[in-house]
Amino acid sequence: MTAPPDLDHPEDAVSDPDAVSDLGAAWDRLVAVAMLGTDRRNPPEPGGVIADVVDDTVRSTPSERMLAQVAATVAVRRAGVLPRAARAPLAGPETDDRPVCVPAAAERWHHVISSWPVLEDEWLLTLLANGWRMPPDLVPELLTRHRSDPVRRVRAELACGPLAGWLVGHLPELAARGAASSQPDPSADEVAELPSLPIPPDLEPLLFADSVAVARQLAAGIDSGSLAHAHRAVLVNLVARVRPDALGEVAAALEAIDGGSIGFPLASVLADLARTRQRMLDELGPRRPTPTLL
Amino acid sequence: MTRWSLEQVEAIAPTPAALSAARPLTTVTKWVGLGADDRAVWGSCRGSGAEPYDTMVDHVGVAASCTCPSRRRPCKHALALLLLWSNGDVSDVPSPPAVAAWLDARPPPARASDTGRASDITPRSATTANDTSPPGGEVSAGVDLHGQQGVGVSDTPGGASDTSGDHVGDVADRDRARDERVERMHAGLTELDRWLDDRMRTGLADPALARYATWDELAARLVDAQAGSLANRIRRLAGLVGATPDWHGDVLAELGLLHLLAQAGRRLGSLPGPLADAVATTVGWQVRQADVLGGVPDTDTWVVAARSDTREDRIEVRRHWLRGAGSHRWALLLSFAAYRQSLDNSLTVGTAIDADLHRYPGPALRALIGERHGEPVDPARPPSVDVVSACAEVGMLLAGEPWLDRVPFTATASIAVDGQRFALTDAGGSLPLIAGGRPLATLLAVAGGGSVDVTCEWTPHGVVPLAVHLDDRSIDVGPRADESFVSAA
Repeated sequence: MTAPPDLDHPEDAVSDPDAVSDLGAAWDRLVAVAMLGTDRRNPPEPGGVIADVVDDTVRSTPSERMLAQVAATVAVRRAGVLPRAARAPLAGPETDDRPVCVPAAAERWHHVISSWPVLEDEWLLTLLANGWRMPPDLVPELLTRHRSDPVRRVRAELACGPLAGWLVGHLPELAARGAASSQPDPSADEVAELPSLPIPPDLEPLLFADSVAVARQLAAGIDSGSLAHAHRAVLVNLVARVRPDALGEVAAALEAIDGGSIGFPLASVLADLARTRQRMLDELGPRRPTPTLL
Repeated sequence: MTRWSLEQVEAIAPTPAALSAARPLTTVTKWVGLGADDRAVWGSCRGSGAEPYDTMVDHVGVAASCTCPSRRRPCKHALALLLLWSNGDVSDVPSPPAVAAWLDARPPPARASDTGRASDITPRSATTANDTSPPGGEVSAGVDLHGQQGVGVSDTPGGASDTSGDHVGDVADRDRARDERVERMHAGLTELDRWLDDRMRTGLADPALARYATWDELAARLVDAQAGSLANRIRRLAGLVGATPDWHGDVLAELGLLHLLAQAGRRLGSLPGPLADAVATTVGWQVRQADVLGGVPDTDTWVVAARSDTREDRIEVRRHWLRGAGSHRWALLLSFAAYRQSLDNSLTVGTAIDADLHRYPGPALRALIGERHGEPVDPARPPSVDVVSACAEVGMLLAGEPWLDRVPFTATASIAVDGQRFALTDAGGSLPLIAGGRPLATLLAVAGGGSVDVTCEWTPHGVVPLAVHLDDRSIDVGPRADESFVSAA
């Protein structure tokens, strides 16, 4: 389906071969002579409209006549672009009744995969849980991202709906690979479960603490330097898994750290993560019921 | 004589990168024949070439000349020379004859306050109207730092001449320079046609065609003849040899177009005005940005219909295709980036802007954007036609300029399978697509089984989808520059 284009006769690629068959045949003859050269073979006699264009007695040598014919034929073939015969449009995929997620959520997904991939699993699971589907233009990228991991592949296909299978049918390069294609499908629980992230035991209590306590402890640790850049990875994991209702407090506390503080750069990074996650969850929130007219 | 300050030198650098490139050359040991007087500073810099680059800068009239192949003016050698001079490393000596002759050919200097030295200086424009790849050093004549031909060459064939100098002698010099340039170009085109004739005689199976030197030598001669755009076509053509099993047809078609241009270029005087302009710019006649921007504006609401990036030699070329909402005319805005330079990111596909466009001479698609009359409006979609009408539009443009490599159109169509390819189709006909990877997948995903408005580029090899237009937004699926090559800035 995605074989490289046929470059044999470039102009024919976009022109109806039947409509320009005379020109096409004349061009083939010119190419044949050009391969050998006019020292060994005379140029073909021009016909049709080309003959009118190159009917010039000044061109005395075979090579001059050949060049004139080639130039005229190329110009005429290019200007004579015609469509090929109409084809039957592809039958579309089955209808997906779920609404497409809001544009802000789609934009957030781009930010997530480029800056905070740690949030992508949660983004997809929230989308699925709240009955949204992936915008069609993001489907190829999502399928391409998750070709090998069996669990994430299933999530991606669920998020894309019937369009995923339809697209893979037409573009096999989007199909699952490796473990995702060879292993049995993961269970529903595996698909629905948010993967756990490594968080040190001394930080684990923060996952369940109230929002004010989390924010205060995190900000104080970073401001004092006891939580430093060396802890960045685990702090990212912590913010990615902290209770959603604590995200606002956490972000505000981190944003409040003074620019002169040693922990300011780390605080800024984590604040962005917290805000990103908070907005992501808002944008993918439960669908509001369609208002009904009384 | 007041030397320039470092800030003044920095201010005329076309980019910070140019200044960075100049700094390693600010060592006197890299130069010979350094000198300065109250009008100019000059010297010869040992570069990578066999011959040193002769560089001179008119520090009063604010102009530079260098024999290096750089297209950027001022080049790094001119900047380095100014840096050396501003640092006091260049002694005052009488100017050599070459410098004196160059200065004599220039208009008399205006007062510094009139020149706006280092304050209103803009880098030189990129290339000719139709050629999109770098001329690769065909311009070694002096170019003033405002982007003007320092030798006073009129940049349009038979068009308005440069009126910056009032002196009769200047006008005569300019006329002479222009005549010489026309003569060189004419000779170059004659030689090109002779070379093409030899190719027809010996045939495309001639092993010489497989050697890059065969093409490079011709390209170099065309550069000397100031037919830089044709030189670029020759270099691109060299890459087609052996590229596919049936490359002969592709090469032959391009040879035919080169013959067409060589013939037309030698008959500019007998061609209709717009066609003559189109041929001249396609051959390589330089057109000043200032002249283009001085032309009558084409004012409209311009819909940014598509974008595509292509790497040509060592330059990334970005094309923005704009379509007039009122006139339905197409326009092409080009931007260029060498390694680590940035492309124009000011236009977003699917937006519209009220603006003045200034077109290059002839029936050119290429234009420069002038005054913008408002902020971009989002979303906007270009007018769309059916497949048959799209072909007619493309054919009309190609009938006027058969050498065009890309022609835009926006069609409303569905996706179909045509043999081993996908195609755009409607009830009137189909057009095969050349696309793969993400662009094709995105087009398929968005269209599904329905029809969509899609902006494409016609190319001799097929149709390339660039943007899909939905009711609420457009999706840019055009080929994108390698981010490791261009700067994100």
